[in-house]
Amino acid sequence: MITLKNIEKVYQTKTIETVALHNVNLHIPKGEFVSVMGPSGCGKSTLLNIMGLLDEPTNGIVEIDGQPISRYRDKELAHIRNQKIGFVFQSYHLINDLSVLDNVELPLLYRSGTSAAETRHLALTALEKVGLSARTKHYPTQLSGGQRQRVAIARALIGQPELILADEPTGNLDSVMGEEIMNILLTLNRQDGTTIVMVTHDENMAQKTERLIRFFDGQQVSDAKTTAYDYQKV
Amino acid sequence: MIRHLFKLIWNRKRSNFLLITEIFFCFLVLFAVLSLIVYNVRNYYKPLGFEHENVWMLTMRPDTDSTALNRQTLEQIMQRAKGFQEVESVALTNSNAPFAFSQMNNELSYGEKKMMANEYLVQDDFDKVMRMQVSHGRWFGQQDNASHHYPIVINRALQQKLFEGEDPLGKLIPRNDSSSYQVVGVVEHYRPSSEYTAEEPGFFNRIHLPKNENEFYGELLLRVKPGMGVEFEEKMVKELSGISKGWTMEVATLEKMRQNKAKMAKVPMIALTIICGFLILNVALGLFGVLWYNISRRNSEIGLRRAVGAASSQVYRQFIGEVLVLATFGLVLGVAFAIQFPLLQVFEVESVVYFIALGIAVGLIYLLAIGCAFYPSRQAAAIHPAMALHEE
Ligand SMILES: Nc1ncnc2c1ncn2[C@@H]1O[C@H](COP(=O)(O)OP(=O)(O)OP(=O)(O)O)[C@@H](O)[C@H]1O
Ligand SMILES: [Mg+2]
Repeated sequence: MITLKNIEKVYQTKTIETVALHNVNLHIPKGEFVSVMGPSGCGKSTLLNIMGLLDEPTNGIVEIDGQPISRYRDKELAHIRNQKIGFVFQSYHLINDLSVLDNVELPLLYRSGTSAAETRHLALTALEKVGLSARTKHYPTQLSGGQRQRVAIARALIGQPELILADEPTGNLDSVMGEEIMNILLTLNRQDGTTIVMVTHDENMAQKTERLIRFFDGQQVSDAKTTAYDYQKV
Repeated sequence: MIRHLFKLIWNRKRSNFLLITEIFFCFLVLFAVLSLIVYNVRNYYKPLGFEHENVWMLTMRPDTDSTALNRQTLEQIMQRAKGFQEVESVALTNSNAPFAFSQMNNELSYGEKKMMANEYLVQDDFDKVMRMQVSHGRWFGQQDNASHHYPIVINRALQQKLFEGEDPLGKLIPRNDSSSYQVVGVVEHYRPSSEYTAEEPGFFNRIHLPKNENEFYGELLLRVKPGMGVEFEEKMVKELSGISKGWTMEVATLEKMRQNKAKMAKVPMIALTIICGFLILNVALGLFGVLWYNISRRNSEIGLRRAVGAASSQVYRQFIGEVLVLATFGLVLGVAFAIQFPLLQVFEVESVVYFIALGIAVGLIYLLAIGCAFYPSRQAAAIHPAMALHEE
């Protein structure tokens, strides 16, 4: 699905130069559920942004489905994001002036050839998947944190992306709601075969995924199958 | 996408209310000023109905109250004025000569209809001095001397209002005394007040000195040969003063008088345009500021849109589009208000003036909106998605 080769990311500000990622090599096959852990500031979000084509590496190559993306222009990158990638963020990033339904429909607004009726239907299906069919007319500020994150997941999956990138999706939620979100992601991965890369600080969550990559100071320090993986295989 | 933008603006109507009101008022002021300008400019391009070049006006003020004596002097002066080889023709008028600061009107009635009309007292040669064209009937002449009625020549505006479809020639209009006016001719246009004034109903009443024995007329119009200047003016005034002795005499060219009148119409137009300009500048700065501020507030939204598949150019178009939608809301209100002027005919102004002003005002507001949105929108489009999404 996605391959990173010798990725280097350096943030250059006036006073200091921060190496956010150093010599990262990763291959994530289709259908895998990977978690990424590491201390704060070790470059996890930076990694996800690069995978999601929101940011460019200083050096190295990103390949999606075997295609190196470095030579794409902004428009084509936007198109790939729209077609293949869904994002979930710690702070949801919902548009407060739009209803739940309109928020979920957003990605399809940027996809030509989808009729309004079709879009509506897909949005309702996505909301059903995350158990929010009853809240379509609500506005984000009228929802709890867990509900907001479920809206964000519905938005991420409406376009049926092959890859979902989740940056601490349960970071702002209590353990019960976090559990709910985790279950939705696990179901997505198992039933639809969606590839998921999730950044988390929660060891328990990480152990539920198949593979766990640990980062420290911009570098991979370990990459291993989890017990859940072994369990699944049995 | 357009539906999406309308939804977005509509849901944000509370925070956009101020902007929409600003655009609404800006539009109304623009509409008012443009209506005035369009009205004036349209009048400017309509025919005056006369030729004022090479026409001078001699204003005479006698120093005695004796009408008989003054009349005698007046006739001598006219005789002499006609005698100059530099002068082509002369005609007495009353003080509301073309481009003069004076008006005189009279009520006319025909059948049930009553209306006010401008009255211009002129001598028979006025049509030669002013090069007037009669389009129907005839101008005054010797044949009017024997008439029992007072002959008048009317303009088309008067004919349409008073007689509508009827042929006005020969029609009688009662005067205050038991006598009547009789229409002998029609001119298409006569617009003496100013180039920027609309044509008003008016009629010419004949000055026939033998008949108007007790009247004095202090304004003499002279058509001079082309190229006559100060030199001839001095010579003429000197000679005529020799005849009249103590009278005050003043000569002004109609061209000069036209310029004075034009200035009077232009000054308020220019002043209003400047005031309007400042107002628009103010609104523009406000609009620009709010748009600028909005972008920093909407960082997360911009980042998100980029993440779900908006190209930078789409973010740009969205922001421009939002401002256009915003302007449209203000304009819908504004047009609904402005359209009442032609519908209700609040002033006696042709509807087309309002429609032209409306069209220009709408266009200018959209241009203003795009102008203000241009830079902020480019800024929004340039925002780096990863930065914008960076958790606060
Ligand atoms: N726009 C930026 N400009 C400069 N430095 C940056 C920028 N974004 C991130 N960094 C730096 O890069 C490093 C990695 O940041 P990153 O956000 O990827 O960390 P993280 O692992 O996601 O941390 P956290 O767990 O707190 O979210 C940090 O040292 C951070 O300060
Ligand atoms: Mg992070």
